[in-house]
Amino acid sequence: MSELVVTDLVAGYGDAKVLHGLSLTVGPGEICAILGPNGAGKTTLLRALSGMVRGRGSVRLGGTELTGRSPDAIARRGVAHVPEGRGTFMPLTVEENLRLGAYVRRGRTGVEADLDRIYTYFPALKPRLRQAAGSLSGGEQQMLAIGRALMLRPRLLLLDEPSLGLAPLVTRELFRIVRAINEQERTTVVVVEQNAHLALGIAQQAHVLETGRIVLSGTAERIRADEQVAQSYLGYRV
Amino acid sequence: MSEAAEARASGSRWRVAANRRWIIMALLLALTCYAPFQLVPFRVFQFTMVLIYAVALLGLNLLVGHTGQISLGHGAYFAVGAYTAAILLHSWHVPYPATLPAAAVAAFALGLAFGVPAVRLRGLYLALVTLAIAIFLVPLLKRFESVTGGSMGLTLAKPVPPAWTGLAEDQWLYFLTLAVAVVAFLVTRSVLRSRVGRALHAIRDNEAAAEVMGVRLSFYKTLSFAWSAMLAGIAGCLYTWVIGYVSPDSFVVTLSITLLAGLVVGGLGSYWGPLLGGLFVMFVPSISQSVNDAAPGVVFGLLIIAVMYVAPTGLAGLAGRAAYSIKKTLRKE
Repeated sequence: MSELVVTDLVAGYGDAKVLHGLSLTVGPGEICAILGPNGAGKTTLLRALSGMVRGRGSVRLGGTELTGRSPDAIARRGVAHVPEGRGTFMPLTVEENLRLGAYVRRGRTGVEADLDRIYTYFPALKPRLRQAAGSLSGGEQQMLAIGRALMLRPRLLLLDEPSLGLAPLVTRELFRIVRAINEQERTTVVVVEQNAHLALGIAQQAHVLETGRIVLSGTAERIRADEQVAQSYLGYRV
Repeated sequence: MSEAAEARASGSRWRVAANRRWIIMALLLALTCYAPFQLVPFRVFQFTMVLIYAVALLGLNLLVGHTGQISLGHGAYFAVGAYTAAILLHSWHVPYPATLPAAAVAAFALGLAFGVPAVRLRGLYLALVTLAIAIFLVPLLKRFESVTGGSMGLTLAKPVPPAWTGLAEDQWLYFLTLAVAVVAFLVTRSVLRSRVGRALHAIRDNEAAAEVMGVRLSFYKTLSFAWSAMLAGIAGCLYTWVIGYVSPDSFVVTLSITLLAGLVVGGLGSYWGPLLGGLFVMFVPSISQSVNDAAPGVVFGLLIIAVMYVAPTGLAGLAGRAAYSIKKTLRKE
């Protein structure tokens, strides 16, 4: 039984359709990488999954239909979206940002314990708790954004270009942590990435998007091994 | 220093700061209670008006400073509160205390009614719609003459201080206003520190991110509008008590603009901004009148520009910076 089942998803902005009937499934506890060139619809796919963009078709999470629900209702069902550009609340402190992540959870039980858990994943955040989030470096802000998403105790974690604007070293560290989170929390992850090499390194399966359609799907190893794919869609030689 | 020791030290520093804050608050409260016995009645009246403006600005601050929405029509909610109290007192002869919740409910309801469409608007469009509220209110008040007294307005008897207090009228009104203002400040403060406050800040700072974290935008924006209008309405009710007279010309569009200017000058999104803004709105026009009798508006306007130039974060931000640099100099010595 798959955790996330997307069937014939059509989504876009106004009259401009970006996704033209897209279907994919992600198993529980899996990491799924979405690859493809600019404008392929990767970000729109994540937005449609979290409800920021309305779509037609069907998105089911653990058997529950998500299409047509509002973003806050979808968040309440355990979908945590780390948007492109991180969505940091700049003037708020790091701790306030994290607590906002637990926003949809009823009651305070476990919030403190979860904060501690976040610090074990991201020790860099701990000394900066009372600092304005806007004063963090890009890498720290991305860690904060992922930490904030974890505070929701998500079933499904959506990551949009976590490597955007970060140094290669920081990006590698970030992906290592995402992998650790996935292994320890058994959270299902859908990650959109330009850096195909890194994303394929942690994912079990991958889909390549082009102009709103899936042009290739397979296990991460297979996609990585396919030289033609690497050249035509991912823009580098393996 | 080890990590634990560091945490302890920063914790105790924080406690000292918190204690100091309470001492300052207590001193301030003592001063505000003592002042009316030392000042002439006109000054007491002026400070009462400062508190009234502060309550209205507290509401506006919740909406503009903390939720990141705009309102150019808060004078309308102020007027609705004032007129609700005045009509109840004038035509129904209800006791004074009962007009306060009535005014609050009326303004809350109106804020809710305008908050629902406002949820769909942003920035300039929202500004325009809220401005329209302020514009159509005055002709409306003049129109329903039988209830509102038309252009002549309504004249009312002021609340009489109970004999046991031994207070003069101006002092009694001052303390009534002070009590309402203190409660309003404390309640708003605790709301802002709660989960609700975090949700409002999230909406202000990044709507899309707030939404995907599960914050219901429409609910909180509407709530913020209604709550903000309610505080303006409460301020309006206090205004009626203190002035004893309402007329449409007291609530023209300029009032809304003045309130917004006062808030921005006082300090948008800060705790003390509304109070500083109240002082500014009350005293600066009369000061500028003494500077140049012919053009108080010009002086007032220039002063706003000057404050914004020197202190873009408002008077509250300026005070914070001053306190910080004093502390730094003290530590150096």
